[in-house]
Amino acid sequence: MDKRLVPLLPLVTKPARYTNHELNAQHKNWSEVAVKVALAFPDIYDVGMGHLGFKILYALINGRHDALAERVYAPWVDMQELMEEHGIPLTALESGSTLTKFDLVGFTLQHELSFTNILKMLDLAGIRRRSTERDEMLPLIMAGGPAAFNAEPVADFLDFVVLGEGEEVMHEILDVVKDGKAQGLTKDQLLTKLSRLEGIYVPKWYKPIYGVDGRFEALESQVPNAATQIQKRVVRDFNRLPYPEEFVVPYVEVVHDRVMGEIMRGCTRGCRFCQAGMIYRPVREREPQVLKEQIARLVESTGYEEISLSSLSSGDYGQIGPLVRDLIVHYQDCGISVSLPSLRLDSFGIELAQEIQKARKTGLTFAPEAGTQRLRNVINKNVSDDDLKDVVQSAFAAGWSRIKLYFMIGLPTETEEDLEGIVELAHKVLEWGKEFRSARRRPEVSISVASFVPKPHTPFQWMAQESMEILRSKQRFLQDRLRHPAIHFSYPRVEESFLEAVFARGDRRLAAVLERAVDLGCQFDSWTDSFRFDLWEQAFGDAGIDPQDYAGRTRDIGEALPWTHLSAGIDYDFLQREWELAQKGVPTPDCRWDECSRCGVCPSLRVANAIVKEKNVE
Amino acid sequence: MSNVIRFQFRKGPEVQFLSHLDVVRTMERAVRRAGLPMAYSEGFTPRPIMSYSYALSVGLLSEAEYGDFALTEELDPEEFVKIYNQHLPKGFEVLRAQRLPDHAPTLQAQINAASWRVSLPKVSADAIKERWQWLQEVDSFVVRRETKKGSRDVDVRHFLFSVGAIVQSPTGVVFDCLAGLGNEANLRMEELGQLLCFAHLEATITRMGQFKKVGNLYVPPLEDRG
Repeated sequence: MDKRLVPLLPLVTKPARYTNHELNAQHKNWSEVAVKVALAFPDIYDVGMGHLGFKILYALINGRHDALAERVYAPWVDMQELMEEHGIPLTALESGSTLTKFDLVGFTLQHELSFTNILKMLDLAGIRRRSTERDEMLPLIMAGGPAAFNAEPVADFLDFVVLGEGEEVMHEILDVVKDGKAQGLTKDQLLTKLSRLEGIYVPKWYKPIYGVDGRFEALESQVPNAATQIQKRVVRDFNRLPYPEEFVVPYVEVVHDRVMGEIMRGCTRGCRFCQAGMIYRPVREREPQVLKEQIARLVESTGYEEISLSSLSSGDYGQIGPLVRDLIVHYQDCGISVSLPSLRLDSFGIELAQEIQKARKTGLTFAPEAGTQRLRNVINKNVSDDDLKDVVQSAFAAGWSRIKLYFMIGLPTETEEDLEGIVELAHKVLEWGKEFRSARRRPEVSISVASFVPKPHTPFQWMAQESMEILRSKQRFLQDRLRHPAIHFSYPRVEESFLEAVFARGDRRLAAVLERAVDLGCQFDSWTDSFRFDLWEQAFGDAGIDPQDYAGRTRDIGEALPWTHLSAGIDYDFLQREWELAQKGVPTPDCRWDECSRCGVCPSLRVANAIVKEKNVE
Repeated sequence: MSNVIRFQFRKGPEVQFLSHLDVVRTMERAVRRAGLPMAYSEGFTPRPIMSYSYALSVGLLSEAEYGDFALTEELDPEEFVKIYNQHLPKGFEVLRAQRLPDHAPTLQAQINAASWRVSLPKVSADAIKERWQWLQEVDSFVVRRETKKGSRDVDVRHFLFSVGAIVQSPTGVVFDCLAGLGNEANLRMEELGQLLCFAHLEATITRMGQFKKVGNLYVPPLEDRG
């Protein structure tokens, strides 16, 4: 860490966020390494340390003899103020070097509400925000992650963007930068070489064209040979990918503070609202034997007390039952527990959850997403009322007393009936729980209702988000009907969902809004206490941008969209077909077990779903 | 003899800003990495059976933290020190260990006092000396103590037992003191600062020892072997 921070440590909350020296942190010799990368997470340490993607990249880069990676997090506001007061720039944890000493600074774009933190971190590091304002000196500012699939709102701040999975392309980037530095290439020469790699987008070589009506019309390339479409990177052989043998073990409590085994990538359930389900295709499962070895190495190197299996929908992993049972048996004697964070709603899931949570049976979470079968067909969430009844009853029977249900409001075609459906379901759950009531146990249900945010690269990418007024009235409608001592009702604020919707489908004009918002003091927007919608409204006003035009307007199917050059391999005909089927309420089956839905990913990326076969399980 | 090992460990500058809970978590994880034959609690979430002396506040250093680990089998204390130190992160170091006799009292039952080394920049030895002389004359020194349940007035004068030699150095002043620790006569470091009139956040404070005060005798929780 930067020694200048030491006198400030007693003055801030959770000072150990800034002190480094964690177990397995890599301190490499700067003079022996050609390429230096700062992995910059646009949120505080406590959040960023849980990010699996950065753990993978940290191990991968530090595994090379010619490169090093260090970690950078956004300091919390108290530390920022002290740093600014004392003129101390943002530095990387391991060496305490300022970000300007690195060759590459890589931000992860996990969600839209972290964009302001990227600008704030550049400000704190003393790096000019816009790529065109920066001089010939490195670092190059790069970004990847799910929100990179519409990086346009932050495109002006980035030298290049990486689409898709990083394991292979990261090596290629390091090689190019290493050679480029040795040859003394200019930044633009370096970017030219980088742009020849598949999956890399150099925003400044493209200029958006807006029509007289102010609508986005096209992206015009500014240099010869610039690709018209950037295809995401995808790893074909998931089993042979290197996986970290060590995780940095933090001292302070952080999210996902445990051994994580990545059992699977991608999901083909095809929920029409879900961006992750579209951009991470195809499905690739990791062989149980490979997983067990990876987990064993991490248990040994970290000493963690918990193992979690990570994927978009762990219950869909073909051999999940045998795998979980094996892990429980293998680790139970050393006090190590197993958890499955993303379990699907079915009775098999309950059985598994029961084995895992032999202990505290406090709460079990399901996501029916919509209150009626009709609306669930619209969003392609393949769950019936009978499924729900089955699963809730078996959960109560197995000893759980609180069921948590996730819903969304503002979904396409939603009517009052669908809202009533949520209310009915809440009461039905209590009804189903009645027979399990005892003096010590009182069944309860928590209902959490988020406002739907249409995302790019999904079948709902064309539709308007419902207005904040209507969403608020829907929240009130539910609140009035969910007053019951055994029902807990919660909902995030609509303003956050609104802002997310603006930036999710934003274009480059929003860069000015972001800059203004940061200047006004917006940051940590995903932290409810820090979120300042009044300042955001001012920022939109000052920049002369109407946010409604981004969030609240239905696009024509033929309209040019600002993100179509950033491809996840999904065919737009497929999205359009799905949008039409959604409006008719016709579900589409999962291509893993049913016919191909012709989403286009396999042919365009030359990949296929890879499911583990039963014989491979011991 | 029981299979409980009591050990004294150091908390150095690398891990100075860890909270007590952070320390406990770190110790547990090091136990797993070291493969020590720990005894685990019964029940749904088995935890290694370990206990510690009174929590050290965030930001303080220590030469004398204590822990008791229950093991499932006999382990030579020297061996324990060797193995465990190999797996503790930088900044932690086990200094010595002993097997406890059966039914030995817990650490917290054997500790009610601590010795502290305070190193202060930009303060003169005379200022501290004068203040300590004055304090010895007064019988009461009431401070406002914030607790989770609210705040209340506490007379901390006699929680500070004694102050040793006050040494002037080129960068400031260093002195040792003995004070109450634990549930009865506990002296917080910000209160030590108030008593002796220094800014505790600017001080480097190290816990040098923990003891059971019996009259004027200070008995450490591990037998001294020279």
